[in-house]
Amino acid sequence: MSQLPKGLDLAFSVAMGELGFCSTAWLFVREVALYGGEDLVRSLRDELGRTYAVIDAVAADWLAGHRAPVISIDPFISASQGLRKLLVVGIEADFLDAIVPLLPHTEIGLLRHSLIELDWDRVTANYQQRVSLVDMASIAEWAGNRSGLLTFLYGHNAHVAHVRAAWLRLIGQDIQTQFRSIIGWNVLRTPLFMYPRWFVETSVQDFSELL
Amino acid sequence: MSTPQLVLCVILIGSLIIQALRPQYRLLIVTVAAGITCLVSTLFSTASTPQLLSEVPWDVLVILIGLGLLSELLVTSRLFGLLSLWSTQASRAHPGRIVLYFSVGMYVVSGLVNNITALLLVLPVLLILIKLLGVGQRYVSWLLGVLLVACNLGGAATPIGDFPAILLLGRGHMSFSRYLHYAAPTTLIALLILLCTVMMWIRPTRGLSADGLSAQLSVAVMRKLYRNVQLDWKLAIPSLCLLGAMLIAWIVVPQQSGITPDLICWIGVGLALLWRAHLGEQLLRTRVDFEAVLFLLGLFVMVGAVRKTGLFSLLALKLSSLPLPPRGQLLLFLLVSGITTGLFSAGPSMAALLEVAEVLAKQFPPHAVYVGLALSVCAGSSFLLTAATSGPLLQTMTERAGLRDEDGQSLRFGFFEFLPVGLLSFAIIEAVAIGFALIASAQSP
Repeated sequence: MSQLPKGLDLAFSVAMGELGFCSTAWLFVREVALYGGEDLVRSLRDELGRTYAVIDAVAADWLAGHRAPVISIDPFISASQGLRKLLVVGIEADFLDAIVPLLPHTEIGLLRHSLIELDWDRVTANYQQRVSLVDMASIAEWAGNRSGLLTFLYGHNAHVAHVRAAWLRLIGQDIQTQFRSIIGWNVLRTPLFMYPRWFVETSVQDFSELL
Repeated sequence: MSTPQLVLCVILIGSLIIQALRPQYRLLIVTVAAGITCLVSTLFSTASTPQLLSEVPWDVLVILIGLGLLSELLVTSRLFGLLSLWSTQASRAHPGRIVLYFSVGMYVVSGLVNNITALLLVLPVLLILIKLLGVGQRYVSWLLGVLLVACNLGGAATPIGDFPAILLLGRGHMSFSRYLHYAAPTTLIALLILLCTVMMWIRPTRGLSADGLSAQLSVAVMRKLYRNVQLDWKLAIPSLCLLGAMLIAWIVVPQQSGITPDLICWIGVGLALLWRAHLGEQLLRTRVDFEAVLFLLGLFVMVGAVRKTGLFSLLALKLSSLPLPPRGQLLLFLLVSGITTGLFSAGPSMAALLEVAEVLAKQFPPHAVYVGLALSVCAGSSFLLTAATSGPLLQTMTERAGLRDEDGQSLRFGFFEFLPVGLLSFAIIEAVAIGFALIASAQSP
């Protein structure tokens, strides 16, 4: 019988809104492993992996011996070279925490769009006024020949990538031409194995840079 | 009872009943009723509208607005969010300790700033914790219920915590230090009795599985949510220093000097807002609690009009002519105050009952009557969920949060979920109020 408490899916859904799927999955897997070792990580994967495919992927990573997500800074820095403005679509706390201090001269915006209600003020308070919130209606203010769009990918192949639904609300042919760089940053080591609930497919051709 | 007394009393009580039944229109009901009161009062030649408006205790409204703005400054400094994080870490997300830490925390905070603002800031964090912990209906009802009562007790503990005490301070019935001297320990005793009863007898954690992983995850998630959130020291320190200076001035400066509590508040909050002029201007334009101000203005006008008819003096006379010993009359008054507040809420009750209390205060030591009344009003505010403004707010925020237990069943916090907490709290606080009044009234006036 599993030692996992009931209602863990609710706890995950609370955290993933403000921290992101991948960052929350790593946090959960780490804490579960600390509490009950690899056996409990397996239980977590079995119980929540179907609902949250990212947990399945991250738990598999953990069981394969990895202990943290891959946050490759150099390719991102190279892709964002010369950008004055960067609009981020979707939250991944571990990744944003890593890049925000490295872009002191770039204005960073975060699209205020989420599938669940969350405390946006707390989200931005973690970046000491370096990240501002952007509504759909004011996206045009962020466009320009030194502007970039960034979203996080949850695995991809040669044709499609899994992204948050917010990305599809934003990206269209009109938007694509208004930004110099459209960056897709893959946060998983391997493509999703389970059905990618919570995500939508988009063409990898939409991105000018794929990290 | 004369015709003006009857008509104005019907308008007052009628509007209070309707606003209690239809809280979504309460501001409109009270504002319109206040206008009708002015008209009726003028037609009966009881008092003109300028007379009624001149008797509105504007000093009370100044203190309310000022303290509300000071609370907003502290909110902007992120003080409350970080205090909630600290409470989570200190309690190690243990359900029982969460009840204790958050209740005591809200009691302290509510004594210093607007308790609705404090609740608005702390509750989202608590709701996240509830979701992370996966607790049941019984626990949620008692946790949120006790938190609400702790807010009411904190508000009654100091002369600046909530409207009833501010009214006593503003009208000069009691000095700041005298009220604090009597009310703070008494409310603290009530809180301790309540917490001991809840934790030892009710035991809201009963039936919850003691799960170490849930607690560990909850603390880890909360830490992560606030990983880089920092207190805005440049805003928090001056605001807290000015609040401290105001507290000292309220205690030290005698009212006879002409430097009244509202003036101290006005100057103190003005300086605090000037410290960050841009933010201060923004808060003044957007965050003044006009809802509370208009509601109380309407109430003051209606109560003032009834007072002009001499009805309150008549009621006080009736009370003193009851075949009861004087202390029995005081106890009856306190009990009726508590029940009336439960039905009509604290603002209206306190505004009306104070008129009768003034008469009783001539027979007993004033603090026995006024602090006893403030405690009884606090007991009434804690009786039903609808009695305090923060009750419906708590209900709405909880419903919006979409809480579920570990089996996926929806968790509610409404009138009936609060009722057991309300009954217990009313009994405890009213008993403490009566006990206090009995002891204090034994002293010479």
